[in-house]
Amino acid sequence: MTASGPSRRAVLLGLGSAGGALAGMGRAARGEPAALGPASIDWRGPHQAGITTPQPAAGLVVAFDLLAPDRAGLEALFRTLTERIAHLTGGSAVPQAEDPRLPPPDSGLMGAGVDADALTITVAVGASLFEDARYGLAAARPARLMQMERFSNDAIDADQAHGDLLIQFCANTDLSVIYALRAIVKATGHLMVPRWQLAGFLRSGGPGTPRNLFGFKDGTANPDPRDAALMDALVWTPPGAPGEPDWTAGGSYQVVRIIRQFVERWDRTPLGEQERIFGRHRLSGAPLGGQREFDTPDFTHPAMPGDAHIRLANPRTPGTDGNRILRRGYNYARGVTRSGQLDMGLLFICFQADLDQGFRTVQARLDGEPLDEYVKPTGGGYFFALPGVTGAGRFLGDGMLGLA
Amino acid sequence: MMRAFPRFLSLALIGLAPATVFASGPVQITITRSGCEPSEVAVAAGKPTFEITNKSNRALEWEILHGVMIVAERENILPGFTQRLSARLDAGDYAMTCGLLSNPRGVIRVVAEPGAVAGPVDPMDLVGPVAEYKLFVQDEAGAYVARVADFVAAVKAGDVAGAKALYSPARAPFERIEPIAELFSDLDQSMDSREDDWEHGVKDPGFTGFHRIEYALWVDESTEGMGPVADRLLADARDLADRIKGLAVPPSVMIAGAGALIEEVAATKITGEEDRYSHTDLADFEANVVGARKIVDLIAPLVETRDPALLAGVEANFQAVEAVLARYRKADGSFEGYDMLTRQDRLAMQGPITALAEDLARVPGILGLEV
Repeated sequence: MTASGPSRRAVLLGLGSAGGALAGMGRAARGEPAALGPASIDWRGPHQAGITTPQPAAGLVVAFDLLAPDRAGLEALFRTLTERIAHLTGGSAVPQAEDPRLPPPDSGLMGAGVDADALTITVAVGASLFEDARYGLAAARPARLMQMERFSNDAIDADQAHGDLLIQFCANTDLSVIYALRAIVKATGHLMVPRWQLAGFLRSGGPGTPRNLFGFKDGTANPDPRDAALMDALVWTPPGAPGEPDWTAGGSYQVVRIIRQFVERWDRTPLGEQERIFGRHRLSGAPLGGQREFDTPDFTHPAMPGDAHIRLANPRTPGTDGNRILRRGYNYARGVTRSGQLDMGLLFICFQADLDQGFRTVQARLDGEPLDEYVKPTGGGYFFALPGVTGAGRFLGDGMLGLA
Repeated sequence: MMRAFPRFLSLALIGLAPATVFASGPVQITITRSGCEPSEVAVAAGKPTFEITNKSNRALEWEILHGVMIVAERENILPGFTQRLSARLDAGDYAMTCGLLSNPRGVIRVVAEPGAVAGPVDPMDLVGPVAEYKLFVQDEAGAYVARVADFVAAVKAGDVAGAKALYSPARAPFERIEPIAELFSDLDQSMDSREDDWEHGVKDPGFTGFHRIEYALWVDESTEGMGPVADRLLADARDLADRIKGLAVPPSVMIAGAGALIEEVAATKITGEEDRYSHTDLADFEANVVGARKIVDLIAPLVETRDPALLAGVEANFQAVEAVLARYRKADGSFEGYDMLTRQDRLAMQGPITALAEDLARVPGILGLEV
């Protein structure tokens, strides 16, 4: 595929150069389209891709339990993951079977060649990895990393929560995401086993901030991921952070929350109540008391309730600026509950330099908010997204393993 | 389980290969009254030729043996005569007979030539393993009928405790030969389907066989109404044994069966869903592993010459699984309930099981077989 002219896939998706664009949440709305064609997103660099890179339409997070029997097995796993990520995100020829009597080396989902399809694969580790006596990594544990605690509205299902390892796959299409997952499971099945997974989606293409399943724009106030200085301040764990092991520099704390949304009940809720719960107008996204989506919220305006979601999440005071987090979530929909209601909601994902300053502080402010009545967190976990890979011979997690 | 072949010994020999001197022509072996001269020879894998000279005072037959199997033989070599024999030999240790039965056997060490890649298996090389496997399957089928008969008798006598004790032992032979038993899908379904195979679960009239009785014994704690189910189970077991007698086991089914057994473990045994009422899954689990191991052992020499690393990995992973199983084996040979397994032990088995599934899936192809 060439850079000039829309590719077949881009046209199919309405993502061609003339066809508008899908951007990271909050970006397109500022009139700053970032076209995600079939291009390859470089997986290398001081930070992993899939955090501040533009967010494509399909996402999947898969948590794994580790099977590797020892530290050497763990190293083999991270080396294999690195090799697979380089291969899959590069967009390249697929190895073809040489002997039809043997299992094929590849799932075949992509035919003869992998279209990079804006695929990113982002690897994060959970607290349990550092508690596992097989690996002897207790001293390497990121200082803020812990098992996700319970908040007052949570109903966490252990089968949908936590994990030694988390891999986030993002791409333009679901098929690319599944292809990457299959390839990684095939290569690592003896070293780790999936624990839970959840796939999510965004509206593909079209201008404006994407909407969540409650119909509200979600991400209007998200920090701009292209602002490198801002990302250094909010998202990337800095070198020399107090208490942090050296290897964590360039990584990021990743929070995943599976938040079911009671959409039937929401749809039966008066519009005014919905808007007071969020603190924004549903159609325009403007803060209550404001006119346009990107107006700065006036939290003294009489129309803005004191417990509005956007106010608790981001009070916009000097003291809370450092609590801002980079959200990069997806919507999910996965069937029907026993009561015949739709099981759908938000696959909440966020990144921050410091878990305590970021999500945990924000969530503590949100705990007990009016929105709680319409949502139920059922899974997820706290993870630390590894720093990127910066040189030949390096691999994901090498610093953590003391091999950098 | 006994190992059929000393595969690590011959693996070690490959490392010694450069030091071994091979005869360029036929291998000369002289049989005297007291034995073979020399009593030990080394040959390269392939189709070596042996020249046997009978210097004893009676006619003899000369055999090459692999374990208990006769690989090749030359009969009726008269005193003073020399005869030739060529045999296809894969790497490994073989024995040769040396005249009188009381004479010690000689050793033929067959060494893979470094860098040599073995091609597809000669179909003749599969005759022995398949025949031996067929015997194994028939023995297991016979044991299955006998044990099911005991189990059924206890169920019909209303002896809940007795039937519970006989449940797992009755299943084991079936689980060991599952790749063959599953060829008869009607019997497999009536004997071994689980409630979730049926739309209406436990209450579904199609739900019969072992797991229906398991439900009665462990959930209802009663055998009430189980008489017809038990009768059907025994009739099915007999039917299975009869059908197996008449079955020609295709080599590809046998060899792919090792992988199939491990896939069975990976998909349903590791979860503890197979025997969900009795939690006797570990016995089934072990039976599947034993069944897979049996097949691998029978074909190990053929795999070893083609992919020794694969075979070594398979061996190591079998041992890892067996080590975890051994931790839960009680003094009487039965197993602890699956609910006793720690999460860590379940995960400790999952890795090797997955690796076995991946490796065993390659075995038929490596032997050049179409599955």
